[in-house]
Amino acid sequence: MQKKIVEFANLLRKSGLRVSVSEAIDAFRALDELSIDDRGVFRDALRASLVKRGDDVPTYDQLFDLYWSGFHDNLRQAFESAAGALAGEGIDVEELLRRIQQALENGEAGEAGELDLSELARALLTGDLSELERLIRAAAAQAGAARIENMLQIGFFGRRTLEALGAENAARELQGLAARLRAAGMGDAEAEAIGRLAERFFEALRQSVRNFMERELQTRNFDYMEKFRREALFEKSFYSLTEDEIARMREVVARLAQRIKNVMSIRRRRMKRGKLDLHTMLRRNMARGGMPFELVFKERRKDRPKLVILCDVSSSVANVSRFMLQFVYSLQECFTKIRSFVFVAELGEVTQVFHDHDVSKAIEEALEGGGVINVYTRSNFGMAFHTFWRDFLSAVDAKTTVLVLGDARNNYNDPKAWCLRDVHSKAKNVVWLNPESPSAWGFGDSVMDKYLPYTSVAEECRNLRQLSRIVDRLVL
Amino acid sequence: MFETVEDVQKQLEQQGYICERRIATVVYLASRLEKPVLIEGPAGVGKTELAKVVAAATGRTLIRLQCYEGLDEAKALYEWEYSKQLLYTQILKEKIAEVMDGTRSLREAAERVGAQDSVFFSDQFIVPRPLLHAITSDEACALLIDEVDKSDPEFEAFLLEVLSDFQVTVPEIGTFSARQRPLVFLTSNDAREMSDALKRRCLHLWIDYPSEEVELKILDAKVPGIDKKLAQDLVAMMARLRQLDLKKIPSISETLDWARALLALNAGALDEELVRDTMNVILKYEADIRKAQQELSRMMTRSEPKAAAGATAADPAARKKGTLH
Repeated sequence: MQKKIVEFANLLRKSGLRVSVSEAIDAFRALDELSIDDRGVFRDALRASLVKRGDDVPTYDQLFDLYWSGFHDNLRQAFESAAGALAGEGIDVEELLRRIQQALENGEAGEAGELDLSELARALLTGDLSELERLIRAAAAQAGAARIENMLQIGFFGRRTLEALGAENAARELQGLAARLRAAGMGDAEAEAIGRLAERFFEALRQSVRNFMERELQTRNFDYMEKFRREALFEKSFYSLTEDEIARMREVVARLAQRIKNVMSIRRRRMKRGKLDLHTMLRRNMARGGMPFELVFKERRKDRPKLVILCDVSSSVANVSRFMLQFVYSLQECFTKIRSFVFVAELGEVTQVFHDHDVSKAIEEALEGGGVINVYTRSNFGMAFHTFWRDFLSAVDAKTTVLVLGDARNNYNDPKAWCLRDVHSKAKNVVWLNPESPSAWGFGDSVMDKYLPYTSVAEECRNLRQLSRIVDRLVL
Repeated sequence: MFETVEDVQKQLEQQGYICERRIATVVYLASRLEKPVLIEGPAGVGKTELAKVVAAATGRTLIRLQCYEGLDEAKALYEWEYSKQLLYTQILKEKIAEVMDGTRSLREAAERVGAQDSVFFSDQFIVPRPLLHAITSDEACALLIDEVDKSDPEFEAFLLEVLSDFQVTVPEIGTFSARQRPLVFLTSNDAREMSDALKRRCLHLWIDYPSEEVELKILDAKVPGIDKKLAQDLVAMMARLRQLDLKKIPSISETLDWARALLALNAGALDEELVRDTMNVILKYEADIRKAQQELSRMMTRSEPKAAAGATAADPAARKKGTLH
């Protein structure tokens, strides 16, 4: 049992749960206190001691089912169906097994020393499924089945397990037994039935071993694929996301935002200690005759940044905008105020849209222009910046970070970089995120080089990893 | 204490706390293994209540430590009573002069005083706070550390020593260890994730919104005299409300409040108007109320058994389920 729990804990670890040794020990101790006959209790006890995060519970549940249930049931099923098939051929398996047992005990098949049945053959003949399971598990361990990694290896490891199990040998033994019994005067029909029985049972055994391997593979690989996909999402370019991936991405973005928020709250608290607050300190230490036993400091609050986002929503960068907006709005508490604008050629404010709807709906609407601009035109950064400069420059002050999202592909229009220059001189920061790599900036109709002097930070941002790094810097 | 898991369930039920077997299992294990339990889950599902009820069922006194930002050792563990110490030195001035009598050098005087300083750093001048209380208490007790997620990470680190060894060191006096290990419950609303180190030392219990069946039982136990049919409607309604994408999802405590409100209004059955009027008992945000009212008429028609069969297939609430968690 202990071994199985250690193995199960390992499995959980492999699937991304953090299970420490002391937790595994707790699990043993917990099971000592309970009767493990009750599956529900067993499951809850393991869960309470091994799984400590709400998010991990679904993974645990699935793995629990995979690991703890079933192989035994499966084995029984295989052998029952074998027995059923034999019954269909007119052979009563139970009767036959009893007959063999009897024959063995009476020494009909020769001296006991001559007939040395292997453990496997004995288990098969007595129908001892628990023993059979133990043997299969041992053989699989010997064959190194724990190393199984993909479907193609099922056959290989299955064969090795059967070898380790000594299956062929046992089959020969059973055939030999039939021959002996016939020689000892058993009826032909009966002897033949034994032969048939041996065949069927081995078929069932083979099937079970294969099934065991499949299970093994499933448990080993559980979440491996999931994790792999998640990792890949981080690196994947926003340009090539499929619809399904966008949906999954949203979750990842939300999780990332939560993480940044956690880090933020810790860092902000560390910043808090400021100068000595003499006034409050004297008051509070009055009880001790004004002796400053207890020091009181003024709280220093780090200003949360204000944010103005200018989002290009032309189809070429829509996905980047989508995730950026999602990110920023998941981090709302980290900013004093966020104002968002969208543009293609015209520019319009969509702050209100975010105020009225929840984030995901607001984003979809913003990408449609939010009812304030026409999105079916060609990008014109110059015009957009000019509109911003003319109408909204007052939104920018010395505490504001201006975040521009766009590829700066200006369709050979006038870039009007001076608008950005004015914004830059008023704002605390101008951050430009461009989904194109820096080597393409300034080539073709890209006017990134014209804007570059007026940005504090300009970064390539084409996948989630880059995005998260930038946001990290933005809020701190 | 508790004999079996069933026993836990029964005893808690006697105290008026109806719970799923899963919860009982963890409580049983905690009492057996003497390990703290970290209870997590949404607000208002009975996390704090569980600790209180277990204390009542085992006949232990409950010591409660409410956590908040800025909580430190002085408020959680112990504090020296400076003013009392000061007062005593004033009063004992003469006695001190007596002790000092005949000393010739400064060094000699300091040594004399030094020999006596344990007088001023003794149990007499210590103000025990909840944690020290729980550890030094003669009888076994239950300790509830409420909303531990609200505390600072530093405090969490400090808790580790207390939780793993049940002992506390006061430098001037020495180490106190618990004569009897208290049953410890920590509750968290998931405002931030607790550290792995803390989680490792605890058993973990996630309490979620109860199933309709359990909620009905709770309602029955907590609001006696409520009409069966009304209770059923109420619980069904709550289950539907929880599927909406709300800012603050109503939990058991809101269900109970609502039931009591309806009882006070002498309501016999749940109709649309009544729900509309009493909505503010269960929903705490203006936006939530507005949203729920929009959905209300649709929900009410579905609560009619006749319409149920056809409508469930296109259940808009079910589609929204994904946004719930």
